[in-house]
Amino acid sequence: MGAQSESSESTEHTPSSDFAKEVAAEPGGEGINKCIQCGICTASCVVSSASEKYRPRQLIQKIILGKREEVLKSDIPWLCMTCRMCEERCQEDVSPAEIFQAVRHIAAREGHIPEVFKSTVEKVLEDGWMLADAYSDFIEDDREDLGLDTDLAWDSEFTKKVKDKYFKGEDAK
Amino acid sequence: MKDLFLYVGCTTPVRLSAYEAATKAVLRNLGIELYDMKDANCCGAQYVESINRTAFAAMGARILALAERFEKDILAICGACSGSLKHNKHLLDTEPDLKAEVNELLKEEDLEYTGKVEVKHLLQVLRDDVGYDAISRAVVQPYNGIRLAAHYGCHVTRPYDIVQVDDPEVPRVIDDIIEICGAQAVDYAGKTRCCGGPLLAMDEDVANVIGREKVDNVKAVGAHGIVTACVFCNIQLTQVQFGEGSAGRDRIPVLTLPQFMGAAMGIDEDTLGIPLNKIRPTVLLEFMHRIESKALHREQEAKR
Repeated sequence: MGAQSESSESTEHTPSSDFAKEVAAEPGGEGINKCIQCGICTASCVVSSASEKYRPRQLIQKIILGKREEVLKSDIPWLCMTCRMCEERCQEDVSPAEIFQAVRHIAAREGHIPEVFKSTVEKVLEDGWMLADAYSDFIEDDREDLGLDTDLAWDSEFTKKVKDKYFKGEDAK
Repeated sequence: MKDLFLYVGCTTPVRLSAYEAATKAVLRNLGIELYDMKDANCCGAQYVESINRTAFAAMGARILALAERFEKDILAICGACSGSLKHNKHLLDTEPDLKAEVNELLKEEDLEYTGKVEVKHLLQVLRDDVGYDAISRAVVQPYNGIRLAAHYGCHVTRPYDIVQVDDPEVPRVIDDIIEICGAQAVDYAGKTRCCGGPLLAMDEDVANVIGREKVDNVKAVGAHGIVTACVFCNIQLTQVQFGEGSAGRDRIPVLTLPQFMGAAMGIDEDTLGIPLNKIRPTVLLEFMHRIESKALHREQEAKR
């Protein structure tokens, strides 16, 4: 009986590393417990087919094995395009996109954010939207010709509030 | 007449205004009135989304709450915006603590998220609110002999449980509309694969390899053009056809779905913003001019 329950536990693929537990406790990271390392995510992944840098199965394996520093300090979790092709095909209902999003949230709290994400978030929260700098007179002319409003009327008060509440000290990290 | 709030997003009004203009013209023709959402904010997709979950939910909640104030559903024409607003609506509707926290922030502006408005992507509005019969009736110049490849956009169709647009492995809406407009919808390898756009910020080279492969797969089946339903996909599939290694290669036009539909509905080129397209959809334009000259011919015949 004892031996049987042990073997049934082992088929649940429950990870044992502290990092896997940490990721599982983060919203979106729950699926880490269900991965059986079959690799259909990597097989379905267009980033993997175009580049050797990114392998979702391998990244999930690193989380399961508890390679916390290596994963959090790496750019690899930030290469997922969240196209969710892998999630569509996963037999175990795991979403690598959600897991890597959870990993990004943990990494961000510890100050590991790729520069382009940091600067874009800064811009969005300051201006209220992403392309304030790119909106030129030429584009306004095109919009006028198309009969569209040229005053895009974005609000930046709220995003500044969001910045104060959730991003205080982000730069200092 | 049904009316909807158009949440246009950050990118469309700057990089692809023609998509906005064509959407308005086509939907007006089909009996749907759109209202511009004023004082909105970025939906936070990809960037804020990756850093802080609650901040992301707050940004989505505010857009939804603005729509609630006027009791109108939201139309999103960008894949990232429609996907992220639907995702946040799902989180807010299933996590009372998250909803309470963001409502605390919204209260200062007298806004509240309660969950009573829906977020719809353009494809849903065309199929469910307008309906294929009405589209078919509005087509006055059916395309004949034109072959087109549909590209859906990952965030438009996945994850199905949340976005509820179409079968994520075998999507049909754009293909159906292509055929209703009289053209032939063609299949190609990797149809539901990503355009590569979301990777541009982190690795431009790999993003472009992904986009170029998509374009090559479309060319391989002899399509005359690509029809899209997301601003990012449209821009990405266009820009990968320029730049390094593109010299001497034929370019395939990339059209937004409402531009394609609008031409079949007899809406003129300028209204649809077609002159602004970076790759001129020559086959489509030749087709339109052929129709026009036929009509002119018929008019002259009638006068005789």
